[in-house]
Amino acid sequence: MQHIFASSEGPIEVTLARNGEALQLSGYSLTQHDRGRLLVTLPNGGKCIAHATKVGDIWWVHLNGRTYRWERIEPGSSSARDEGGLVAPMPGKVLDVLVRQGQSVEAGTALMVLEAMKMEHRIVASTDGRVTQIHFQAGEQVAQGAVLLDLEEAE
Amino acid sequence: MVSKVLVANRGEIACRILRACSEAGIGSVAICAPNDQGSLFTELADEVVLLEGESIGETYLDQAQIIAAAQSTGADAIHPGFGFLSERAEFARHVSANGLIWIGPSPEAIDQMGDKMTARQTMRAAGVPVIPGEEVEEVDEAKTLEALREAAQRVGYPLLLKASSGGGGKGMRAVHDPADFDQAASAAQREAIAAFGDGRIYIERLLTGSKHIEIQVLADRHGRTIHLGERECSVQRRHQKVFEEAPGPTMTPELRDAMGQAAVAAAQAVDYEGAGTVEFLLAASGEFFFLEMNTRIQVEHPVTELVTGVDIVREQLRIANGEPMSCGDLMIRGHAIEVRLYAEDAANNFLPAIGPLAVFRPPEGPGIRLDTGVREGDDVTPNYDPMLAKLIVWAPSRIEALQKMRRALDEFVILGTTTNVEFLRDLCDAQPVIDGSTTTTTIDTLWPKGWNPPHDLTLEDASLLVAAGAETLGLHLQQRVGSQEGVVGPASPFATLNRRYP
Repeated sequence: MQHIFASSEGPIEVTLARNGEALQLSGYSLTQHDRGRLLVTLPNGGKCIAHATKVGDIWWVHLNGRTYRWERIEPGSSSARDEGGLVAPMPGKVLDVLVRQGQSVEAGTALMVLEAMKMEHRIVASTDGRVTQIHFQAGEQVAQGAVLLDLEEAE
Repeated sequence: MVSKVLVANRGEIACRILRACSEAGIGSVAICAPNDQGSLFTELADEVVLLEGESIGETYLDQAQIIAAAQSTGADAIHPGFGFLSERAEFARHVSANGLIWIGPSPEAIDQMGDKMTARQTMRAAGVPVIPGEEVEEVDEAKTLEALREAAQRVGYPLLLKASSGGGGKGMRAVHDPADFDQAASAAQREAIAAFGDGRIYIERLLTGSKHIEIQVLADRHGRTIHLGERECSVQRRHQKVFEEAPGPTMTPELRDAMGQAAVAAAQAVDYEGAGTVEFLLAASGEFFFLEMNTRIQVEHPVTELVTGVDIVREQLRIANGEPMSCGDLMIRGHAIEVRLYAEDAANNFLPAIGPLAVFRPPEGPGIRLDTGVREGDDVTPNYDPMLAKLIVWAPSRIEALQKMRRALDEFVILGTTTNVEFLRDLCDAQPVIDGSTTTTTIDTLWPKGWNPPHDLTLEDASLLVAAGAETLGLHLQQRVGSQEGVVGPASPFATLNRRYP
């Protein structure tokens, strides 16, 4: 369970260990509490409830009165922001849908073309898989963070 | 007879007024610009009139359209809230001329207080102390600068140049050195002409280290004009209040009496009706001076409501209906603090921020009041003022109120849009706030190079674990995301994210 996040000092790699229900990272431990809320145990034994939500590629985390933002870098993508994953990177309009529902695609296949901020963005498959659902048709407006299509990863 | 009120405003204050109408058993009408459809306030009204137009000028400032909306819905009164048309005497006149009740003071009172030079003269005549200074009534443009320069010599430095039609810091200049005077005066005049079409400037002595203290007044048509005590709103950034409290931490009963009487005299001098606020500067010497009168309900009115038990908006409705106000003698109980939550980047010169309110989870519990116009899932757009909410707490003592505010801010979860919550939380730990010695320059003194969130490596690491863990657990697969412009409310086509991650 490795994730990469952007920071002002460059990408940070985070590798989590699983211990039963808990996810661990050098002395810190995390368990799921309920939807959107997580229980964090600090190295000193202190506990706090964290709230987390993802908008676009950014995880917003609230912890002990402080709010942090972590931009996740999609595995395999050189620049997550340019390719945008399967989520609209910003509000815009769907220019073209390049795949059909049910179609099998390889990682890197262009799935959709989005116009946002007067620029075209290609939405590219992050893994090999099958398109299970297409949520928008050409000409439709999409909001930032909107899921454009669902891709079922190949086994 | 007030039986149906049109609220000529939007957002948080529209919600406040519409709820008061509902509680009073009075019908209500909201007006709504196209980009406000689906906003919380439209759900609190009995009827909603969709305005035509895009800009604020074409919608919430379009007097003819608003009056037509009142007539078409059978509303018999208009409540202007604050901002927008609330202090336009000409709108108050139109409202009355169309047979509608204006919930506020007379147009004459608005005019007399709106022009700052006239207000100073009226106050002086009424025996209300004004900040030492001079109004310059020179009509010949060529001679204005000379007249201002001479007046400046008499007032003394440092001084403040202010536009007679001014507000919000526009047309205002502080001058510390006579050598800078000409340039500052010309700049203030240009700014005033550009902003208000009126270049008249007056001069006040600059009172540094003063407190901003204001007195809430209420006046009905039955000859009663009272004050509801003071609010201290010294903590400001760029002339915008962020932290307000009642009672004032350094107030004494004697000073409250004196300031209260001055405020009542100020209101009576213009035959005031309804709710209003007389603002004063309280100098370090203990002297107080009239600053201006706001002829409308104010943003920070809830702190007064919590310590006096008076529902000010409800009283406005009663007074406009010709009834006597219902409150008895002034009783101040406990302490209330309000902070203004803005969608802004406090660490980046308070720049306004936009984004979805993907999570909006306000604090709860005894003594907490939240006045807001937004809810989870809404978007913060650049169309309007970035104030999201007012968080107000009440406790028996000031120290407990401050403790409660810290707890409440720690609990407040807003994700998806940058806010000033952490800045407000830090403010609660600042020494001048703790000991009540705040002045109008407190924020600049505390953070001369701008505010930054404190670094806590433990929490930062923990937040990284949370982000990585949330991704691993697939929290985003269940979450709802706020709609954006153009995609409104339940019509939003996306709700869940079904993508699987490795």
